[in-house]
Amino acid sequence: MTFELDPGRFLHIGTQAPQCLAAHLDNQVATESPRAISRTSENDPAKHGEQHEGQHYNISFQDLKTVFSHGLPPRFVMQVKTFNEACLMVRRPALELLHYLKNTNFAHPAVRYVFYGEKGTGKTLSLCHSIHFCAKQDWLILHIPDAHLWVKNCRDLLQSTYNKQRFDQPLEASTWLKNFKTANEHFLSQIKVQEKYVWNKRESTEKGSPLGEVVEQGIMRVRNATDAVGIVLKELKRQSSSGIFRLLVAVDGVNALWGRTTLKREDKSPIAPEELAFIYNLRKMVKNDWQGGAIVLTVSQTGSLFKPRKAYLPQELLGKEGFDALDPFIPILVSNYNPKEFESCIHYYLENNWLQHEKAHTEEGKKELLFLSNRNPGQLERLCAYL
Amino acid sequence: MAAARLSASLVLQPRARTLRAFSTSVSPATRSPRPSPSTTERTSRYGRPLRRKALPPRTEKMAVDQDWPSVYPVAAPFKPSAVPLPVRMGYPVKRGVPMAKEGNLELLKIPNFLHLTPVAIKRHCEALKDFCTEWPAALDSDEKCRKHFPIEIDTAGYVSAGPSVRNPKARVVTLRKTEEWEKTKTEADMEEYVWKDSSSEKNILETLLQIKAAEKNLELSKEELLGTEEVEEYRKSVVSLKNEGDNENTLSQYKESVKRLLNLT
Repeated sequence: MTFELDPGRFLHIGTQAPQCLAAHLDNQVATESPRAISRTSENDPAKHGEQHEGQHYNISFQDLKTVFSHGLPPRFVMQVKTFNEACLMVRRPALELLHYLKNTNFAHPAVRYVFYGEKGTGKTLSLCHSIHFCAKQDWLILHIPDAHLWVKNCRDLLQSTYNKQRFDQPLEASTWLKNFKTANEHFLSQIKVQEKYVWNKRESTEKGSPLGEVVEQGIMRVRNATDAVGIVLKELKRQSSSGIFRLLVAVDGVNALWGRTTLKREDKSPIAPEELAFIYNLRKMVKNDWQGGAIVLTVSQTGSLFKPRKAYLPQELLGKEGFDALDPFIPILVSNYNPKEFESCIHYYLENNWLQHEKAHTEEGKKELLFLSNRNPGQLERLCAYL
Repeated sequence: MAAARLSASLVLQPRARTLRAFSTSVSPATRSPRPSPSTTERTSRYGRPLRRKALPPRTEKMAVDQDWPSVYPVAAPFKPSAVPLPVRMGYPVKRGVPMAKEGNLELLKIPNFLHLTPVAIKRHCEALKDFCTEWPAALDSDEKCRKHFPIEIDTAGYVSAGPSVRNPKARVVTLRKTEEWEKTKTEADMEEYVWKDSSSEKNILETLLQIKAAEKNLELSKEELLGTEEVEEYRKSVVSLKNEGDNENTLSQYKESVKRLLNLT
């Protein structure tokens, strides 16, 4: 593999170059106009406004490790690793949601916001943008990265210890608990449980002990992990109304909660979602009978079961049951890039030397990319990966 | 020559054969050339039996108090010569009148009930009476009838003027009896979304009650809450969303109504 040493560009060596590129360009933020199109130096989501629309802002590595330990889409994670920076574009749906979140009345029941849109338009990343905002505002983040993962491909289903009718998913529950712990470490010692929970003959959690203990118990004793998750959800819901902390419930792919599962019992009869303890507790969580926070959801077809590929509208994906459960909610449409955002995205890739094709920076190249991707963010990203 | 013709007929098609048959039935004396035999002969030049001149129509001989059922005993097409009524039918040309009944195809096309005059029907009933039995004395009230014969079917007929004989309203047939199990019609069976008593109504009520409770504003009752303009708009948007499905219009309407309801900017 040889790279042409073009005097005007940096060599794409790997991790080193983009970092110094970013550092170099950081100093020139005021003077260079192409940068102003695709980047902004405002890294606090709380201060994002319409003037930042279309621009990328940087998420610090610290935040990546804590808040987004399990939330980002896999391709984005790869991109972060390649560019050695996590830059998220500020877009209108997310700005709209941030506006609502900033004006939330914490005495009122939690409002539900649902991102919907076609495949690859950026629902998950808009969700992550709002999660970042809430994390910076010191909310407690309850993030379920993909609810679809809980209703399919589950190897070991145990009969629930708490309720014989339901099923536990120990592996998924313990992974989730680990990530939850990383995201909300500082809260876990502050919040105290309000009841005594008995795990088995020898272990129990006393009333008044920190929530972190419950999480630890779940991580260590994998058998009780799902029950630990249930307890966490119950306690958080109960206590968020008291005002000690603000709770953000973020679920990606919430239509999994009311769909069908591909899991079967030993006698091959199908399991309904409500028979899974985790789903049952999560449904209680997204109801709006608690105060002191907000619920942000996305409905997605990717990863969903038994739903046609072209389905993207809320009622199609949620079904009657789901819609009735979430009603009233605010639907927010996430659509393809508008021309400004498209330009910005191309600029960002060019800056990071991601587009190596010699025609990539020309007008015809851009037009071709526009045509091929139809300004769909996911599609554009996949196309540019080949260039 | 006749023999030659006969042998040729074996090759010809059956239709031609009947024509052949026709021509053979004609007596050989008249096989001399003459005009085509397909039209009815009217002239008397060739010695054919003459058709009588058209007689006056039967209507002129009808008395006013004649026995009509014997003129039209069964359903028969309209015969202008047999119906003494000066009926006209058709769309008039400019400065004209509707066409008279003679040779009027419109009168032939439509169904007529000339065979079912009241007199005729009376006679039918008289004839049928011998085969009928008495109405059962026990069925003297409506309830008893309904109890023993629960199914009632209502059909309706219509008389209307228009380009077509048929009236689509006549297709509606009502079945009167409702079964017990029809009362168990659930929400899943409903053809259309009804907002009253639906879970959407419950949800919005709970939400509003909680909001009011948070604002320490408990004076409003359930009916008042449901009667406000915002709730009305919300109800409309939910109904349209459920009945019409998702599209940009219904979704944005729903969004606006929820925003207004929950007091979000």
